[in-house]
Amino acid sequence: MIGFLRIPGSARRPAWPAALLVAAIVLSSTGAGARTAVATRAAVAPVAIKRGGTLKIVTELGALWSCNFSPFVPPVNATPDSWGFIYEPLYFVNGFAKPGMPVETGMLATSYRWGAGARTLTFTLRPGVRWSDGQPLTAADVVFTFNMIKKYPALDLAGAWQVLTSVAQQGTDKVVMTLKPGAVPSFPSIAEQTYIVAQHIWSRVGNPTTYVDKAPVGTGPVLMQQCTPQNITYVRNPDYWQPGRPYIDKILFPAYTSNPPANLDLSRDPGDWGGQFMPSIQSYYIAKDPQYRHYWFPPASNNDVFINLTRAPLSARALRQAMVYAIDKQRVSLIGEYGYEPPADQTGVLLPVFGRWYDKALADSYGYRYDPQKAISLLQQAGFTRGSSGIFQTKDGKPLSFSMIVIAGNTDSVACVKIVSDDLRKVGIDVKIEALSGDAFNARLFTGDYDLAWSGVGGGITPYYELRNLLDSANTAPIGKTAATNWERYRSAEADGLFDAFAHTTDSAKQRKIMGQIENVMLRDVPVIPVVQGVWWFQWSDRVFVGWPTPQNPYANPCPYCAPDLDIVINNLHLR
Amino acid sequence: MAVIARRLVFFVITLWAALTINFFLPRLMPGGPVLAMMSRFRGHVTPQAMRSLELAFGVDIHENLLAQYIQYLGDIAQGRFGLSVSFFPVPVAQILMQALPWTLGLIGVTTIISFALGTLIGMVAAWRRGGLADSVLPPVLVVVSAFPYFWFGLICIYLFSAGLGWFPSGFAYDLGSPVALSWSFAGQVLRHAALPAFTITITSIGGWLLTMRNNMIATLSEDYVRMARAKGLSPLRIMVLYAGRNAVLPNITGFALSLGFVLSGALLTEIVFTYPGLGYLLYQAVVGEDYPLMQAIFLLITVAVLAAVLLADVANVLLDPRTRGHQYR
Repeated sequence: MIGFLRIPGSARRPAWPAALLVAAIVLSSTGAGARTAVATRAAVAPVAIKRGGTLKIVTELGALWSCNFSPFVPPVNATPDSWGFIYEPLYFVNGFAKPGMPVETGMLATSYRWGAGARTLTFTLRPGVRWSDGQPLTAADVVFTFNMIKKYPALDLAGAWQVLTSVAQQGTDKVVMTLKPGAVPSFPSIAEQTYIVAQHIWSRVGNPTTYVDKAPVGTGPVLMQQCTPQNITYVRNPDYWQPGRPYIDKILFPAYTSNPPANLDLSRDPGDWGGQFMPSIQSYYIAKDPQYRHYWFPPASNNDVFINLTRAPLSARALRQAMVYAIDKQRVSLIGEYGYEPPADQTGVLLPVFGRWYDKALADSYGYRYDPQKAISLLQQAGFTRGSSGIFQTKDGKPLSFSMIVIAGNTDSVACVKIVSDDLRKVGIDVKIEALSGDAFNARLFTGDYDLAWSGVGGGITPYYELRNLLDSANTAPIGKTAATNWERYRSAEADGLFDAFAHTTDSAKQRKIMGQIENVMLRDVPVIPVVQGVWWFQWSDRVFVGWPTPQNPYANPCPYCAPDLDIVINNLHLR
Repeated sequence: MAVIARRLVFFVITLWAALTINFFLPRLMPGGPVLAMMSRFRGHVTPQAMRSLELAFGVDIHENLLAQYIQYLGDIAQGRFGLSVSFFPVPVAQILMQALPWTLGLIGVTTIISFALGTLIGMVAAWRRGGLADSVLPPVLVVVSAFPYFWFGLICIYLFSAGLGWFPSGFAYDLGSPVALSWSFAGQVLRHAALPAFTITITSIGGWLLTMRNNMIATLSEDYVRMARAKGLSPLRIMVLYAGRNAVLPNITGFALSLGFVLSGALLTEIVFTYPGLGYLLYQAVVGEDYPLMQAIFLLITVAVLAAVLLADVANVLLDPRTRGHQYR
């Protein structure tokens, strides 16, 4: 999941979560081997590529621009509008890479190498990169950036210093980082989510936490030409380190505050990069120009039913397993999300994008599917008895009656929850829906004051990140205190041990085996029920610009609010 | 005058009360900016970073509320509104300054236009009671003002922008165009503001029209109007200078109040037409629990409304001799 800022898949998104770069990828060779960067070039033979053109990004941010281009701004309302456009990280990691495609691509670094036991990480910087004010990029800039983040913890949005112990320069073009044990999955936090800034500018700004970066100096493909609350204009960087790129001249990034005006513009202009939730996209968008218009909604992370495991009888495993059989995920996807968000798997593994991690045999052995009769028989086997009203009761005569909380403003979430509660009622579990304001919802979810809840956590480039967020006991807290992501309060030494083991190995076969065991935890204990897979929104037209990422050629995450993938896309687009 | 002095004292007391409520009310709401941020981050920010952000935001919940209140009053007096939380770390004053001209321009001008038009039409409609203007315009305009604004705005965009292409569908000026004091930029601003201004004006004329018309009808039955007619003065002169001037007095207060509320922006307009004004900023601040921005905007609105009420009182005193004191019975 590239942008952790955007909560994917909801029609009314509150804000952009900070772009979460994909988490560590599985290194397909042993950890101590050298990695050479492969520059990402789209599979297009550059025969007389037309230059020029103005691209407009159409995506509803729900906020006006503050024109602060500091890459360290906490993304309360929107992603920093400089990630990927102006500031770049050391590496780009492609979570959607198909077999045969490069997974990691060097940006400001050309190669990296793990030291023995994955305790050190050495990056070799790319020569010839210049800041937009003409100064050369040096290893000192990288070291300075990381040490500045260390000094001001509020800047460490990616959590790089949770695993780093030191960052130092080596020679003229190398940066050596020493890490705590088990840091391999944190590679993306360090290499992809930390944006490098210039020492000769940022060493003079005083407190970088409160610094408003109005005239950013970066290494990226575009320069910021003009910023107003309603629009940012970027122009091509003529001294960009990829020779000849970008091909396009100008990018306009307007600040749409709601969906209808954005959808209207997107449906009319052919030269737009769309990142919109569009109801009835076939008739509203595609039908206007079916030959050139397309859409692709790649999966991001799951939308789950969170179950408060501390409350009886929800603490009974058989009850939770029965609930999985009761929910018709296909119907939830179709009616609640216009069919845009495919049904999720109980393992929590996004499919088909993470197919190589999926233990199909294991999942099939459990055999979860939509089967209300099976749900009812499971409940009866567990000792619940059906009352005269059709609702099951515990042995003490307490009815299985729960409340499910959801954020009232997210109309699609509310629709999904309605279907889930209807399905559960059909098998004899009574569910009342409580639609709350965002703040009230958060307060209750984080402190564990709920029975069932509809929410999701962020993911990464492998299932490790989402599952660790969901299941690791380090991410939870006692009832009444605020938990970070493990809101269902799942605790098990087995799961914690599995995640640690995963984090300590770079052997991909071993990692797959451990992942299979983690999936077993999800299948056996059902701490949450993934219902639909949240997606990234993306629409495009080939009429004006070509070179887009497609499901056939997924060279980057295509959504226009996902960084640093948008950097790669900008460098590949050109006029038809 | 004693009346005005009394009004001024009342103004200061009301202002202080508003400031106090402005401070305490957001802090009584559940949640807080840190929780709101946490939900957006979905677990991808370390607890240390969150704590540092808390400190940087100034949402230090451990500090005594009374001490914060004193600090707040002092800051307000010195014009220091602090750093915004949702646009951290841009100063609140800077954010407001960017949105203020657009709100003042669009909403201010349309308020004046709709008041003027509504008053004029109401005056004429009452004078020619039963005529064409009276039979058609008031009912039509009142019905239009009852339309849901969001729907009406979208219909206008559909008809005039997407359909006929006469006007752009949103924003305050052309995207990517430099902000300069030039005729072409002014032209852009006017073109972009035309549709929002039209929708706001049309939906708010009805109120002014009705009240003016009813006031006029009451005024027209007064003795001095009959005297003016008997004197043989021209109908236009009677309508405007005799009846109209007196009939508009009750509306002045309403007009002053609505001028005060101009600063609250027009949230729906700004959403439908993507207009960068204060209304949407306020909405964002409330949703994001951005206390500094919320407080600053509430303060602006409160001061504007209070000032407007004060001005209305002064205007009444100046325009209407009957309010001046005990001399007239």
